[in-house]
Amino acid sequence: MSRKPQNKLTPLSEDPKWEDVIPIPQEEGSAHPLASIAYAENYSEAMDYLRAVMATNEMSERVLELTERVIRMNPAHYTVWLYRARTLFTLNHDLYAEIAWLNPTALRHQKNYQIWHHRQTLINALDSADGEIPFLTQMFEKDSKNYHVWSYRQWLVKRFDLWDAGEIESVEELLKKDVRNNSAWNHRWFVVFGRPDTDAFKDEEIVKREIEFAKSQIRLAPQNQSPWSYLRGIIRQASLPLSSLREFAEEFAVFGKMDQVRSSHALALVADIYAEEPNGTAKATLALDMLAIRYDPIRVNYWEYKKKQLPPSSPVAAGT
Amino acid sequence: MSAAEAAASEGVSSDAAPRLNKPKHVQYWKRCLKVYLPDYYTANDSTRMALAFFTVSALDLLGVLDESMKEEERRGYIDWIYNCQHPDGGFKGFPGGSGNQWDPATVPATCFALLSLLVLRDDLTRVKRRECLLWLNRMQRGDGSFGETLSGEGKVEGGYDSRFGYTATCVRWILRGNAEGEVDGVPDVDVDAFVRCVRAAEAYDGGISEAPFHEAHGGFTYCAVSALAFLDRISSLSSIPLTVQWLASRQTLTLTSLDVLSTDGDEATAPAVVSTPPSPSSPGFDVPAELRCSPAGFNGRCNKLADTCYVFWIMGSLCNLSALDVVNVPAAREYLLEQTAHRIGGFGKSPEDPPDLYHSFLGLAALALGGGEVPPFAEVKPLVPAACVSVETCEFLVGLPWRREVGPREPEAIERYLG
Ligand SMILES: [Zn+2]
Repeated sequence: MSRKPQNKLTPLSEDPKWEDVIPIPQEEGSAHPLASIAYAENYSEAMDYLRAVMATNEMSERVLELTERVIRMNPAHYTVWLYRARTLFTLNHDLYAEIAWLNPTALRHQKNYQIWHHRQTLINALDSADGEIPFLTQMFEKDSKNYHVWSYRQWLVKRFDLWDAGEIESVEELLKKDVRNNSAWNHRWFVVFGRPDTDAFKDEEIVKREIEFAKSQIRLAPQNQSPWSYLRGIIRQASLPLSSLREFAEEFAVFGKMDQVRSSHALALVADIYAEEPNGTAKATLALDMLAIRYDPIRVNYWEYKKKQLPPSSPVAAGT
Repeated sequence: MSAAEAAASEGVSSDAAPRLNKPKHVQYWKRCLKVYLPDYYTANDSTRMALAFFTVSALDLLGVLDESMKEEERRGYIDWIYNCQHPDGGFKGFPGGSGNQWDPATVPATCFALLSLLVLRDDLTRVKRRECLLWLNRMQRGDGSFGETLSGEGKVEGGYDSRFGYTATCVRWILRGNAEGEVDGVPDVDVDAFVRCVRAAEAYDGGISEAPFHEAHGGFTYCAVSALAFLDRISSLSSIPLTVQWLASRQTLTLTSLDVLSTDGDEATAPAVVSTPPSPSSPGFDVPAELRCSPAGFNGRCNKLADTCYVFWIMGSLCNLSALDVVNVPAAREYLLEQTAHRIGGFGKSPEDPPDLYHSFLGLAALALGGGEVPPFAEVKPLVPAACVSVETCEFLVGLPWRREVGPREPEAIERYLG
């Protein structure tokens, strides 16, 4: 990825702008270094100059050029980003210009964390989220599960109070494209239940709405675990009885028709519901056996472990 | 016959179990030790200490550390690590920086440096222990989280997530065991505040995430659970059964994007993540016997593809929770050995991927996991899951005279692996 043709770059040693700087070469401090890297020549040179300007704590336009050069070759270098941010603020540099440079950099380096930290610093200073959501939408077109981007989005929502500014709608848009996008499900949870100073779990209407939404998405794809986790999460945190999901779960897996199970997650749920019922152990055992043998055999050990935790079949039998 | 026995009886017999091509892996790691890494690793330039750790710890797990280096070289590697020690405590991620505020120690580098020194059998007497512990305290924020590094003004920089909490608690464990109160006149970190941070990052499905309300993630879960292991606070998790369930759910037969395509076709009826999809003619989904024992990897998040590193992050978390036996370890080993191990040695992220140091180390470390009812994999040394180094290396640490004085008792999740 970083093997772009950098050969066109003018060496800093030939650039009059850098004439006054004496580069500091990499010092390993031992005849036997570990994890030595065969750096490209351009990178070694840029780092030698970077050490020199850092050592004098220089904050200048040419430092911005130099850090840009280093970042292009190694966007994961954390102190370079911190140094660049400090230089930007010291020079009162145009932060919108910085964002304009940052956008393609972020699109090019999908997995990079530092870029998002830097962006957060800038947007926080600019005190405006204008243009941010459209850019994130662009990022999601490349990877709608990008963890850094979702984390940044949560920060943005909190920082700029965007709770009602279309977040639920954009989650639904993403789920229409891919109902198994667990990141989108998680963001929905955050937007609905993560709002400070409110307890949505105590709001019957919201809880009901979210339960119905999860159910509707499960009906589209019963073997999708994301909405099942969402549903069970609500039941748990709103302190509702698990048995309230019995009828729904039995649409997909019902005792007596164990050959017609349409979702292993439904079957796992009915097993938990049966286990809570008086004398439900036998039914729960059968459901767990079906998971282990037929519907989710990769997790056979887990279903066996669940069986061991069931209450004994009947107190009389357990006593004998 | 129990369901487990029934399924197991149809599984692969132990004779057919795949093996590690050990000479190739040894060769791969010796090359990493002796030859310059290709410029592709420039992205890791500021975290070379992590690469150094992967290299020496892998050679240790393969049991070839001593034969890989002359005594003079071993001392040279140790000197290289000490050359990264910061005068005010802690270690930097790479040598030879600007020597001022732009050249700081970092928490992960300190953790990897100390572990690497132990693997190389250095007794840590040149570590500025008091300075390091004082600096570590300054790396903890008021909310209990740890950061990555200190700015020139003394501000804690970096994320709030459990990667830093994990490496910080590992440093604490190495240098002061599980001793609470003062060591060398240095007070302990705020353990309760850190534990609150971990709990706040628990997601609704039982996994642990980067921060409150973020998505549950295998790497953050491992870091959080291992940090609690170092602090002897595993029981502080909100619900161990729920976390175990989330971890068990990460095992998957969806190993490549082709697998996703083959199961997505039936999305409208019932896409199968872990099993074959139902077809209209047979409403239930019967799993063919051969699928039951096929390789199964782990993903890091719900509905994602398997990836070598998550075999370690997930199974390592389960080891810390004494629950490794809830997953299918043979299927995971098969995934590593038959799918992501590369013919030139090392492991790639996914089948067919070229090896890299990160996945190669974690693949090997995953093979080194065992415990409970799961027998260890004989071709690598057993590993202490929280510490990511061999049992032998941990025993070397706890046997050091200065260490016996500060840390008379090891955390339970460590102790149970020691002889
Ligand atoms: Zn990975």
